[in-house]
Amino acid sequence: MSRGDWASWLESWRQQLVLWLESTPAGDFVNTYTWAWPIAESFHFVGLCLLLGTVGLFDLRLLGFARQIPLPQLHRLIPWGIAGFSINAATGSLFMAAAPFQYLYNESFYFKATFLSVAGVNVAVFYLLFYRKIVPLGAGEQAPWPARIIGGVSLLMWIGVMCAGRLLTFYRPSFRFF
Amino acid sequence: MDPVFIWLEQTALSVWVRESPSMFAFPGILTLHTIGMAFLVGLTSAFSLRILGFARRVPAPEMLKLVPVVWFGFFLNLVSGFLLLLAYPTKALTNPVFYLKLTTIALALLAVRALGRRVADLSFRPVRGWPGDRVLASLTLGFWVVSVTAGRFLAYTHSRLLASDF
Repeated sequence: MSRGDWASWLESWRQQLVLWLESTPAGDFVNTYTWAWPIAESFHFVGLCLLLGTVGLFDLRLLGFARQIPLPQLHRLIPWGIAGFSINAATGSLFMAAAPFQYLYNESFYFKATFLSVAGVNVAVFYLLFYRKIVPLGAGEQAPWPARIIGGVSLLMWIGVMCAGRLLTFYRPSFRFF
Repeated sequence: MDPVFIWLEQTALSVWVRESPSMFAFPGILTLHTIGMAFLVGLTSAFSLRILGFARRVPAPEMLKLVPVVWFGFFLNLVSGFLLLLAYPTKALTNPVFYLKLTTIALALLAVRALGRRVADLSFRPVRGWPGDRVLASLTLGFWVVSVTAGRFLAYTHSRLLASDF
């Protein structure tokens, strides 16, 4: 396929996705109840704090902060980060269903999706290759250097997700798409 | 109060934050406010969760090593929050929700500071905090939830935007 074919294929795919999202009841729900959107946003911000507070804390420890905390013990806070991420995946999906155009025709959304994807691959690499090397570590012991890099990448990506997410509203598409 | 609001709204810094098309003006400052919140609220919440009895084998006094990162978040939000307030003083100061936000932030900070001091002084032995510590930890989490929600609601509950007629 030529470049033009690809572009039109992607565009038709995107239009299908917009139509499908608009047809879901989740979008209707948010658009019907005035306070649904602000309440979902509040949950999204609380979820963000949980995620950064626990996963970000683990990342900081990997990077060398508070070395007397044993890494495997600190890992026990990670379920709170997963809870935060789940809250945000749910509320984020709700936003997309309620206003698909605002997201799918927005550069900032694709930056956010990219940062999220890198964070996802990064966490998969951590658990597949390095988690078992972390488990026996005690107070004062440092993770192997690739795991420290993973911690740094994680922190950077989540900060990137926050930046792109917060800036989304300022890159809203105009109505020319309708 | 209107003359004060009008004066504030017409200062060069206020005008720049509010009207500059640059992403480093209002959007960038708002983004920094979110990042600061993530570190301030996130790390102090993780500390509170530890005191409530989660991750019991994490040495709580050692978590105090992250206090500089918490202060970083706090100062980032103090400065960015001041700039956001300067951009739209009427919007915030005529909205009761804004005072709820400031009050709950102050209460959360007081609660978590008291908790931090107790943990530092006692060379914290218990796997969970003493009942008083757990109350402080719960209050910290509760005040943060209210202040974050109030902050988000500022965008939807204001009755006035600007006092000046531009």
